[in-house]
Amino acid sequence: MTDDTPATLDDAVLAALRDSVGGDHAFVADLVETYLADGSTQIAAIERAVGLGDAADLVRPAHTLKSASFTVGAMRLGELSRGLEQRGRSGELDGAAVDAAEARVEWDAVVVALRGWLSEPRS
Amino acid sequence: MTAAGVVLVVDDSAVNRKLVVQLLSGLGLAAIEADNGAAALEIVRGERGESVDLVLLDVVMPELDGYETLAAIKADEARRHLPVIMISGVDELDSVVRCIEMGATDYLPKPINAAILRARVNASLADKRVHDLEKEYLERQAALTETIERQRRELSRFLSPQVAALVSTAEGEQLLAGHRRQITVVFCDLRGFTAFAEQAEPEELLGVLRDYHRMMGEQVMANGGTLEHFAGDGMMIFFNDPVPQEDHVERAVRMAVTMRERFADLGRGWRKRGYDLNFGVGLAVGYATLGRIGFEGRYDYGAIGNAVILASRLSSEARADQILLSQRAFAVVEELVEASSVGELTLKGFSRPVPAMNVERLRNSADAVADFAPEAVTG
Repeated sequence: MTDDTPATLDDAVLAALRDSVGGDHAFVADLVETYLADGSTQIAAIERAVGLGDAADLVRPAHTLKSASFTVGAMRLGELSRGLEQRGRSGELDGAAVDAAEARVEWDAVVVALRGWLSEPRS
Repeated sequence: MTAAGVVLVVDDSAVNRKLVVQLLSGLGLAAIEADNGAAALEIVRGERGESVDLVLLDVVMPELDGYETLAAIKADEARRHLPVIMISGVDELDSVVRCIEMGATDYLPKPINAAILRARVNASLADKRVHDLEKEYLERQAALTETIERQRRELSRFLSPQVAALVSTAEGEQLLAGHRRQITVVFCDLRGFTAFAEQAEPEELLGVLRDYHRMMGEQVMANGGTLEHFAGDGMMIFFNDPVPQEDHVERAVRMAVTMRERFADLGRGWRKRGYDLNFGVGLAVGYATLGRIGFEGRYDYGAIGNAVILASRLSSEARADQILLSQRAFAVVEELVEASSVGELTLKGFSRPVPAMNVERLRNSADAVADFAPEAVTG
């Protein structure tokens, strides 16, 4: 990973998130679980839309995954989703399959990272 | 719900929805969630829509997107004042501008920042509260105006229209408090009524009074008189108060003559049924004190003065079909009427005999005073 590549998981974002809800770790943990459940649906929808060459159907799951990813600190996946959303909007799907595959790999990494974060002991 | 407000959160992302709801609850606000625009509209238009104070609306959504949802809310007469804050990524500023042009109040950037959310939500809720108060105030004003109007309508059924109008004006309060003015007073009643009332059945009696009051009432209204009271067959009417009337004596005389003419028809019908009732009038001019007379709980608008007593005594002296004028009243209408003297009358409470004139008829309008009102000489 080079310096200008966003992090798979930015712990600072999760920490800020926890502060914003008054340090309620259980709430953040629940939010992360929701993200993991929803995210797998969205990544599958992205792959389906790219596979079918359906640009219009690519926009919404990519958009939703983008904003949710930024919320939980999955910065790189957020950026990849943003790129896919823009492809969907422009209707330019050449090379979208590569991006989708990259998003899938990143998603798996995010899952591992978030599971790790969830299992960290909290004081 | 004891929350400080209710916010409808519309976002297809469960993560965002959850976070926003949590942040709102930290601000003491309750949330209703919808995961698409169609579901949101259903809530806004339904019963729960009444309680919603603010909508947080995502732009990109399935079913109905943020634009369509916003447009539908703003097109709804009952809900268009509901503030809507758009939730939008910082890379979607174009869409934010479009939404604000469509009537959105503000926007909230994603990822959601707690401090920005708090500031924008509180500002919008404050606006909404001002709007609600304004609406409530206007509704209360309308209800108040309606109440006053209804009272005025009701009052005008019990009081003379002139007096009812007085009650609801500022200068009316001064007039009600008491003032002196020259007025023309008319007393009229039925000769033979007491005897009739002793013999007649109650239904008969009420029927006769109803016909009589209706006919007399029409003439009081037509000539702009103020009906002070009626008691059985007796009525007291005065002119030139509370509404000033330059021709108050003429009006009173015309009214009395028309009443007598109308009564002739009514009396003929009654006589056929065996009722021996006749009409008589006393009329006088003079200064009187006018205003609220009575006691807390029951007041009348009344007149007190010599002219009132004189008119009352003349009415008692009047024989069948006589309209007796005091000397001062006759002096004013001399040119208007043909009258004959009935001599000097000894009246109770008056130390000296009082001269009086009986009005035979009105002169033809051609040789009477110029500004003779035509409606008053018909019949």
